[in-house]
Amino acid sequence: MDNMQQQFIEAGTLMLAGMVFVFAFLGVLIIFINTVLARLAIKFPDPIVVPHSRPNKKSKSTTSGDISPAVVAAISGAVKRYRSQHGQDK
Amino acid sequence: MDSLTKLWLSTGLANFELGQVVMMLVGCGLLYLAIARNFEPLLLLPMGFGAILTNIPVAGFSEAGGLLHYIYYAGIDTGIFPLIIFMGVGAMTDFGALIANPKTLLLGAAAQFGIFATLFGAIALNYVPGIEFTLKDASAIAIIGGADGPTAIFLASKLAPELLGAIAVAAYSYMALVPIIQPPIMRALTTEEERKIEMKQLRPVTKIEKIIFPLGVLMMTIFFLPSATPLVGMFCLGNLMRESGVVDRLSTTAQNELINITTIFLGLGVGSKLSAEAFLNVETLGILALGAVAFSIGTASGVLMAKTMNKLSKDPINPLIGAAGVSAVPMAARVANKVGLEANPHNFLLMHAMGPNVAGVLGSAVAAGILLALVGG
Repeated sequence: MDNMQQQFIEAGTLMLAGMVFVFAFLGVLIIFINTVLARLAIKFPDPIVVPHSRPNKKSKSTTSGDISPAVVAAISGAVKRYRSQHGQDK
Repeated sequence: MDSLTKLWLSTGLANFELGQVVMMLVGCGLLYLAIARNFEPLLLLPMGFGAILTNIPVAGFSEAGGLLHYIYYAGIDTGIFPLIIFMGVGAMTDFGALIANPKTLLLGAAAQFGIFATLFGAIALNYVPGIEFTLKDASAIAIIGGADGPTAIFLASKLAPELLGAIAVAAYSYMALVPIIQPPIMRALTTEEERKIEMKQLRPVTKIEKIIFPLGVLMMTIFFLPSATPLVGMFCLGNLMRESGVVDRLSTTAQNELINITTIFLGLGVGSKLSAEAFLNVETLGILALGAVAFSIGTASGVLMAKTMNKLSKDPINPLIGAAGVSAVPMAARVANKVGLEANPHNFLLMHAMGPNVAGVLGSAVAAGILLALVGG
């Protein structure tokens, strides 16, 4: 019985010490992230290279402003003719 | 006639003992769970098969000279297999969500209460006749609450190798049961309003932060808890390989081929510990029961911690993400996301829950280090 009591006391101590240590360890890690890592992030931001060239390329091919009016006129004319020939309302 | 008798005596039928048959059925049960129910199949399949192999009479798989004997001593007794797996897990882990919201580390810490509270339960079970757990046994059983397979196997192999089979089976079974065990506890401890809480979008995390993070964690472990450096060190190595971006080949190997090969042998090695004399006793039932308790307490304390933080913090925190503090990556985070979506269909908690989820992995490794330092010596 005494042995059991002893074991319970040991388990209790272990629980207390363990939880305090886990919180302390991860708490210090929070401070580390908030100080060291946050400062590093401001000092060395990720270079923005890739997204710069892509949207430009994309907008060139999709924005109607960049397509010459003659091409637009030719396409719309062709579409109109096709629709009238096939009798489609769509 | 003599040779006929000899032949009969060399058959399995003549040599079967009841315990072996029962353990083969247990092995078949694990195979069923893996194949038909998809419960952690990567580990339960080789483990179940290992259980069948080790109980074959005459073949001597787990005796000196047998295949499983060497697999166990080379990889599990030495702690090598769980550590290699931990390196692979590190290579698969993205700490971005945690670095973006470091407060969630507290949730990972709170969920470890499941481990330490279970210590009491294990000691209390000594009142049951037929059960005799020492503090070392109790610690190895309690780590099931960390919901981290490799950590549980590593600690059990160091503190209570004779209980390893039952502990591994309990740990992986409960990890597979996360979607069933956690939601009722999460719902019981939170209100509908709390489950609807939407969280602020996470800030983007830079590459340099992700590279320095594992080094910082390792440094802290070296300073404060060297007994956890085998686990944390291998984890950080895997993570650094991933984030540095210069060793993609190594990172890919660690998170694919290497972890897969090791998983096969780890499963077989653990299966070799599922012998009748080690498994068929009251202690196994106690371990299975304690595992469920550890898991439930871990989930509950994570949720309660998140509730408290929500009350004190200026940014809203959905208490559901606290449940993800019990590692089990990424299943626990998915469960938090699912329960959150039930309350608010526009609320995606997955990324927010990944923070406490990976914090739980670190937390359980730290808890294992503490148990090793205080009980293992």
